[in-house]
Amino acid sequence: MKLTRAGVLILVAFSVPVAIELRTVFGLFGIDLPLAAVGVFEVILVAAILVAYAITAEPETATGP
Amino acid sequence: MATFVDRYPEEAAVVRATFVVAFVSLGIGAFFGLIQALHRTGYVRILDSVDYYTILTGHGVLLALVFTIFFLLGLFTWAVARSLERPLPDIRLTWAWFGLTTTGATLVAVAILAGLIPSLGVSADVLYTFYAPLQAHPLFYAGLTMFIVGTWMAGADWFLAYRAWRADNPDDRIPLQTFMVLTTMLMWYLSTIGVAVSAVFFLLPWSFGIVETVNPLLTRTLFWFFGHPVVYFWLMPAYLLWYTVLPKLAGGRLFSDPLARVVFVLFLLLSTPVGIHHQYLDPGISEGFKFIAMTNTMFLLLPSLLTAFTVVASMEHGARQRGGEGYFKWLGALPWRDPAFTGMALAGLMFAAGGFSGMINAGMNINYLIHNTLWVPGHFHMTVGTAVALTMMAGSYWLVPQLTGKRLYSRPIGLLQVVLWFVGMVFMSNAMHRAGLAGVPRRTAEPQYQSFDFSTALGSVGELQAQIAFGGFLLFVSVVLFLFNILLSSFETPMESPVDDSLPAPLSGAEGSPLVLDDLRLWTGIAIVLVILAYTLPLGSIVTDAGLFGDSPGFPVLIDAVAMLKEVVA
Repeated sequence: MKLTRAGVLILVAFSVPVAIELRTVFGLFGIDLPLAAVGVFEVILVAAILVAYAITAEPETATGP
Repeated sequence: MATFVDRYPEEAAVVRATFVVAFVSLGIGAFFGLIQALHRTGYVRILDSVDYYTILTGHGVLLALVFTIFFLLGLFTWAVARSLERPLPDIRLTWAWFGLTTTGATLVAVAILAGLIPSLGVSADVLYTFYAPLQAHPLFYAGLTMFIVGTWMAGADWFLAYRAWRADNPDDRIPLQTFMVLTTMLMWYLSTIGVAVSAVFFLLPWSFGIVETVNPLLTRTLFWFFGHPVVYFWLMPAYLLWYTVLPKLAGGRLFSDPLARVVFVLFLLLSTPVGIHHQYLDPGISEGFKFIAMTNTMFLLLPSLLTAFTVVASMEHGARQRGGEGYFKWLGALPWRDPAFTGMALAGLMFAAGGFSGMINAGMNINYLIHNTLWVPGHFHMTVGTAVALTMMAGSYWLVPQLTGKRLYSRPIGLLQVVLWFVGMVFMSNAMHRAGLAGVPRRTAEPQYQSFDFSTALGSVGELQAQIAFGGFLLFVSVVLFLFNILLSSFETPMESPVDDSLPAPLSGAEGSPLVLDDLRLWTGIAIVLVILAYTLPLGSIVTDAGLFGDSPGFPVLIDAVAMLKEVVA
């Protein structure tokens, strides 16, 4: 799937609730995840999205997601 | 190809006017929201905590009542004229209801904001729920009454348009958008009886000093008679856009017209006989009545789940028309560059999360855990604050060009704006829910208590405060971007076809649905019967307990009679 800048923006937006709720998920298993871990996880998610964009980027003039 | 403003210039002028009022309210209300978020969390305090309630009331009324309902008035006017393919019967009536609602809303806003200047002797720090024992200046109730009457006139305007259309088309099915407008207005007429009785017969005379007391539980119950259906009054414009516009923006067609009709009929039937679920902790209403309200409320999940299915199916159809494939890969084929589509899709996603937290609110036993805590604002910022508000803002990116004949100033800014709203709301509402679970109260400028620390399940209260403040800041920035984008759009050069405003026919059309769905008299009759069944005994009990004006002693009930009988026998 090819990624556009708009697609990157949307994926980054979706990554925020995932990162925030990561603490809740770990909390269910009795693990109190520190805030810094959530920050690091979000940075990793954003980096992964940017890498995916760099690999699959299509010209901005084309139509797509 | 002519757009709406070319076909119906007079109606377009009214819709533009209602949107202006809505967007001005949005700007002021959002600013008040930022002040609250920063004040409560202790980051920036520019007002005395006493004035917090004035700001809170302004925030609630301007956003939850004025912004949403004025947008609805404009959207429904557009929808009726567009779907019936005819102008409204008398534009003077249309301007009359616009004038009345605007005057009423202005009086309400003046009464609230005057509270910031104590020397004026006018205040209305009664919050958006405005029931006794909090009392406002008569100006507030008078404005509110004018506002409600104005919405009734708007409904009459749309029904008259429908009647004229029906005379020319006796055998046709009601066009879907008009069907949605009419069923929503029938629900509104039924539910506003509660607030009208409360304002006209109790609160207004009380604020004028004509009567000395009111029965607080009666005014609360009458408010919630209206207070839950108003949630659907906010939501139905969003549903109208999700059902009829979102599939087109996704590149496809509505999955099922009959399902959409069923959903709107269910909301007409079920929206009103559920208000007591807001009063689970009110001591004057017996548990049995509350249980009935809870049962009715759970039935309301049905139309919401039907909507989730129909709207997602329509989006998938659109994505596959655009070349999407696979179980999930089709999501990538959706037009995420389009702020109108993306905003509505994100709003729908957030609504699903809000629906889950709403089920906690609706459950009678588990509600006790979160009642009156910050969980509740966390919930309704996901529903009215995102599902409705974000859909309205996103819908504006598609609607406003039709009303002005000018293109949108910037689609990228629009996209950034809707995403910013989503992210801001994730931060803020997530923290509000978690703070509510820790018992942090709502509706207070000073949520902390002496010699008591809230204990959070995860993280710290400080982290939650930071999350709320940061989320509130992002939301405010989002509103500023939206307002500037719309404002700058008005300076664009007029063009013939600024947006593709055609709406394709549904995959499954109205011809496949039973004719009885269009029998509005039948559904209204059943809705009235359900309201009578749900409210007669609770209201009778409340009045019996303390009188209409709260000034009579309680009447003996069965348990007293049994006790007296025991004494006599002994």
